Parts: sequence; structure tokens; C-alpha cells
Amino acid sequence: MIQWLVFLLFSALAVLSALGVVLLPNPIYVILALLSVLVSVAGIFFVAGAELVGALQLIIYAVAVTVFYVFVLTAVPWEKALKKDSHYRVEGLLSFPLVLLLYLEMLFVFLIGVSVSPKGQFREFIVKFGNTEVVGGILFSKYFLAFELVSLLLLIGMIGAVIIGRKEAQTYDNNTP
Amino acid sequence: MTTIPLEAYLIISVVLFGLGALGMIVRRNMVTVLMSMELALNAVNVLFVGADAHLNLVDGQVFAIFVVALASAEAAVGLGIIIAIFRLRKVDSTDEVVDMRG
Repeated sequence: MIQWLVFLLFSALAVLSALGVVLLPNPIYVILALLSVLVSVAGIFFVAGAELVGALQLIIYAVAVTVFYVFVLTAVPWEKALKKDSHYRVEGLLSFPLVLLLYLEMLFVFLIGVSVSPKGQFREFIVKFGNTEVVGGILFSKYFLAFELVSLLLLIGMIGAVIIGRKEAQTYDNNTP
Repeated sequence: MTTIPLEAYLIISVVLFGLGALGMIVRRNMVTVLMSMELALNAVNVLFVGADAHLNLVDGQVFAIFVVALASAEAAVGLGIIIAIFRLRKVDSTDEVVDMRG
């Protein structure tokens, strides 16, 4: 019962904040709404019993990535963006029924799939060892190659970000070929 | 242990993913487009963790950790590209980036 209450609270907060991410005009407010979404999703993870993923969500997303976005908004002058319209209104109105139709279809197919999928039986070793130990054990045994590939990809991403972000000698205006 | 059915996680995930995809279409500023992408990735994570709670597995949580790592790498590279575009072209709106129009 209290699990349902907490789940509904975090879900409602996540959906409202996601509406804020899509609709708010000012990029600073959009970052704050995104932070609210991330904290709410971490709450949903905690309700679902995934403590490790929830903690990583709070540490990596809600702290590191959001602060990184704030840094980038200080580098890009967003006051200039406020002078123009912040949304493509005509394109949004035209594409909204298509997006809605697509996601209603997705939801329909998902719900059909849930009704035929088997429910997993209760495994007591997850309770006995705890969520973090079981996740760590599977991560370092079954998915060890994928783990190493992700670390390699993070290295490549870091090198790419450094190379992309370095200072160029020449700047171009928007009309040079 | 799990009293919340998978349908609830599915509905939340589809709603969040739809809002993220709509934000990617609608927003004009490039930084907010990336933020909508983060929203869609979080919706996928909700679905992974909810399916785990339904199936009593932990494999989906491992994939959720992978998604978090990939999203942070994507944020670093994407924001680096946005800063590079802004520094070279002085634009920060998606309809002004017309160099590859052909």
C-alpha cells in the first residue's frame, strides 16, 4: 500500500516535470525540471528494489550530468535563445498526433506482451545477498566483456570530447561555404 | 516484495519516452534537445528496472547501469559538439545549422 503511494507520488512528479522539460521556454528552468525528473526516476528505482541503479542515478545523473549541462549553458549565451521562439510550434502541433498514435500503439503492444509474459518466480538469493552484491556478481561474470567494452567506450568518448572541444584557430560565420 | 505490476512501469516509461521524443522534435535550442534525449534514456531505464522487478532478475539493472554510462558519454560528446558549433558558427538553434544541406 505504502509502496503504491510512493510509486504514484514519484510517477506523478516525474510526468509533471517531464511536461516542464518539453514545455518550459527558459533553458535554466528546463534544467531544473530535468533534475526533478531524474530524482523522481531514482525514487521509482528505489521503489522497484533497485538500490544500486537508483544510487548511481542520483550520483551520476542528478549531480554530474546536470552540473555539466549547467556549465554548458554558461558557455552558450542562452539570453540570445530567449529572444526567439523556444519551440517549433507548427511542427509540434503537426507531429503530436503522429507521436501520440505511435506511443499508444507501443503501449497497446506492451500491455498485450505483459499479459502473456510469465512472472518470474521468487528467488531468495537476491534477498539473501542483497541487490548490490547480486548486480555486481552478474556484472563481473556474465556481462564482463560488455563492462570492459563500456569502459573502452567511455575512454573513446573522453578523447572525442577533448578533441572536439579544443580551440580552433579560425571561426566562420554562418554563410561561408 | 513486488506489489506494483509491470503495467504501471510500462505506462510511466511510455509516457516519459513519448515526452522525450516530442521534446526532441519540438525544442529549438540544441541543449534542450539533448536534455529531452536524456529524458528518453531515463524512460528506457525505468522500463528495464520495472521488468526486473516483474521477472525477479537483475540483468536489466546491469543494462540500466550500461545505459547510464552511455548517456554520460553521449552528454559529454554531444555538449562538446554543441560548444564547437557555437564557437565556430555562433549559432545555438537547430534551424540555423544548415551547413550540411547539400
